[in-house]
Amino acid sequence: MTQTIFRNDISPELDAFPHLQEIGVIKNTTIRLNSFVKECCDGIGLRLVTEGKFDWLIDDKLYTVYPGDLVLLLPGQTIAGDNDILNIGSFYTIKVTVQEQCRVILGKWSMLSHKEKLSVNQILTHNRHTPVISLKEAQPLIQSLLNELKNEEVGRQSMINHLLDQLFIYTCRQLVRQSNLRRDFPQTFFNLEQILRKDLAHQWTVEEMAALSGMGTTVFTEKVKSFSGFSPINYLINIRVSEAIKMLKRGEANVTTIAHATGFYSSQHFATTFKKLTGYTPSEYRKNNLFK
Amino acid sequence: MMNCIITIELGTNAVRVFAFDFQGKVIGFQKGTYPTFHDEPDHSEQDPEQMFITMLYVLKKLLNEVVYPKKYGVSCICFSSSMHSLLAVDEDGVPLGNAITWADNRGKKEAASLKGTALGDAIYQATGTPIHPMSPLVKIAWMRSHDPEKFNQTRKFLSIKSYVVQQLTGSCIIDHSIASATGLMNIHTLSWDASALEFAGISADKLPDLVPVNYSDIRLKREYQKSLRLLDSVKILIGSSDGCLATLGAGVWEQGRATITIEDSGAFRVIGDNIIEDPAQRLFNYRLTDRLIVSGGPTNNGGVIFEWFANQFGESVMNFDLDKTIRDLVREASTTNAGSDGLLFLPYLLGERAPIWNANARGCYFGLHIRHERKHIIRATIEGVLFEMLSIGKTLETYREISSLSINGSFASIPFCTQMIADMFNRPVNTLSHGDSIGVGAFVLSATELGIFPDLEQASKVVQMHETFSPDPKAHQVYKQYFEIFESLIAKLGDEFDQLAMLQGK
Repeated sequence: MTQTIFRNDISPELDAFPHLQEIGVIKNTTIRLNSFVKECCDGIGLRLVTEGKFDWLIDDKLYTVYPGDLVLLLPGQTIAGDNDILNIGSFYTIKVTVQEQCRVILGKWSMLSHKEKLSVNQILTHNRHTPVISLKEAQPLIQSLLNELKNEEVGRQSMINHLLDQLFIYTCRQLVRQSNLRRDFPQTFFNLEQILRKDLAHQWTVEEMAALSGMGTTVFTEKVKSFSGFSPINYLINIRVSEAIKMLKRGEANVTTIAHATGFYSSQHFATTFKKLTGYTPSEYRKNNLFK
Repeated sequence: MMNCIITIELGTNAVRVFAFDFQGKVIGFQKGTYPTFHDEPDHSEQDPEQMFITMLYVLKKLLNEVVYPKKYGVSCICFSSSMHSLLAVDEDGVPLGNAITWADNRGKKEAASLKGTALGDAIYQATGTPIHPMSPLVKIAWMRSHDPEKFNQTRKFLSIKSYVVQQLTGSCIIDHSIASATGLMNIHTLSWDASALEFAGISADKLPDLVPVNYSDIRLKREYQKSLRLLDSVKILIGSSDGCLATLGAGVWEQGRATITIEDSGAFRVIGDNIIEDPAQRLFNYRLTDRLIVSGGPTNNGGVIFEWFANQFGESVMNFDLDKTIRDLVREASTTNAGSDGLLFLPYLLGERAPIWNANARGCYFGLHIRHERKHIIRATIEGVLFEMLSIGKTLETYREISSLSINGSFASIPFCTQMIADMFNRPVNTLSHGDSIGVGAFVLSATELGIFPDLEQASKVVQMHETFSPDPKAHQVYKQYFEIFESLIAKLGDEFDQLAMLQGK
């Protein structure tokens, strides 16, 4: 195995880039036992295959990846060679640290706006079960990154961070495109709705919802309105209130807990929204809607 | 101040609320969608609370943004809903999980074991509902054997409409139309049927109280009156089912007239005074009023099939627009001949109900030749969907004479499709001036109840015929020949469908 790898703990080239744990090329020419045992990713890991064919277990699920395939690993995901063996071939590898372990937020180095970073987090997190994508932009970007690192020209720091941003942007765009085969809006909307339901407590913004659906906010809002009859936020309120009603009727939690679990920022906000819609306060509602 | 009638339609994908003036003109409209969950193959469920909240939200919006600003007061609110839904609620009236929709097939085995038995025949004769997984009768039987805990916990088995009305008014009731699609109500005596109850394993007190479609002895709870700014005197009309009201809303139903509805799914229906007793059990009979019966056959494979086709094979563009793609495809289809130069399509992508009642039926293009082009495949797809409607129509024609047709629904109303229906049936076809026949049907029912019209017949005259499509005899001759092959193909395929469906289900 030959490798040309910059690593943060040993390569002075990466001094200005504390977020870049490693970047480089690995070329494997022989098959050896235990050459690739399970490792756990502690940042965002990217692997772009350029030659050969690799059998990798990602979160214990087998994927066969070919040249042009980009493997994307989030914090906590594991990767290993099938039978602990690294196949013959070569691939680029990049590891980037993130600020927190539970959310995939790019650090201060990134020039993305805060909202964009949140969207990147949403998209990466919700696609963690599709770790292999095909991204034609990846190879030229990574090659430019390596060139920039080696050639110490003016503007190097900005260029490298900029290229990294681009890599993440293209990755996210491809993930969204893949999951919403843009044609079927009802299906896209249904997928989004499933994501919202899984995390109702999150303070969803229209920008985040639009990004997950692979659209700009204006087009997204228009499409949601014409399809569902509601603005995205009002549709979300519908789901929140419906879920709250279920919890109220089961009588399993107090109003404040229900408010927070369903994404209202206070019990006051919950009560006002609830009463405006149903005519009842949350506690009256439970009493008045059961069989007598 | 002027008065208006509000109709609330709890449909398969969305709630649609209309406001009509007393002459039947639409003052305003709002809709709101809710999702259908398919957590397991064959399952199709909806969240009753979300349906209720969406309905409330949409109603409120229509009142506040259109009805009140236009200085209208509300005289009557009338409900309709899709048929065959089942919602189990506990001792307190709290839903035990989601509502199961008409499209749910989990009771396939239960239905198959009942169909064709003496008991099954007797239940069909008594209830008018074909023995099929869609029917709440079969769904309850399924729950009894597969989810006994939930079955035992259930205080009432409701329809989604019963639940919504119960939330709004506190009354636990079901109208004769919706009840006659449960497979549990005797359509001759208008009471719950003993043998059906026995098969389901429940007693009549597990079901809501039966009321006629013009029942209005209910009131909105005070809180809803207040939050919706409605008077206590507003008449709350329980109403009927989407199928019955779409037929009523299609206008005249003198002898010899039938209605074709094709949205995502479709149906061929007639209204009459008598129940059609089809020994092969291919047709339904649903109660509209104590005098009138809506008979017909439903298909799973309506516009949804062409939408599937457009999604898969429409020209690929960055910003895919389904409506535009469908228009383009229809235009392309129109450049080839009736009969698609010998290409046939069986549209059974979703299994089929009438007339073959086979959940395992699957789609098929038959007769492909090297000279066939894209346009032939597009046209054959549309023709297949409409041949299926013709097949249901022919079944019905063995019992009723049909001299003219009216059509509604977004797919049937595409002029190219309307003309094709006229040519296939060799009958004149009328389109209607109103877009939504279910809403109009609910208006006709309400306006009659309010005494604005002396009876349903008079009230239904508000429905205007928009345009008449006359059949082209030459095209009819072509379709006639191909339809014979279409029918004999269906008769031949059977075991193959079952075998294939089994492999697909693995």
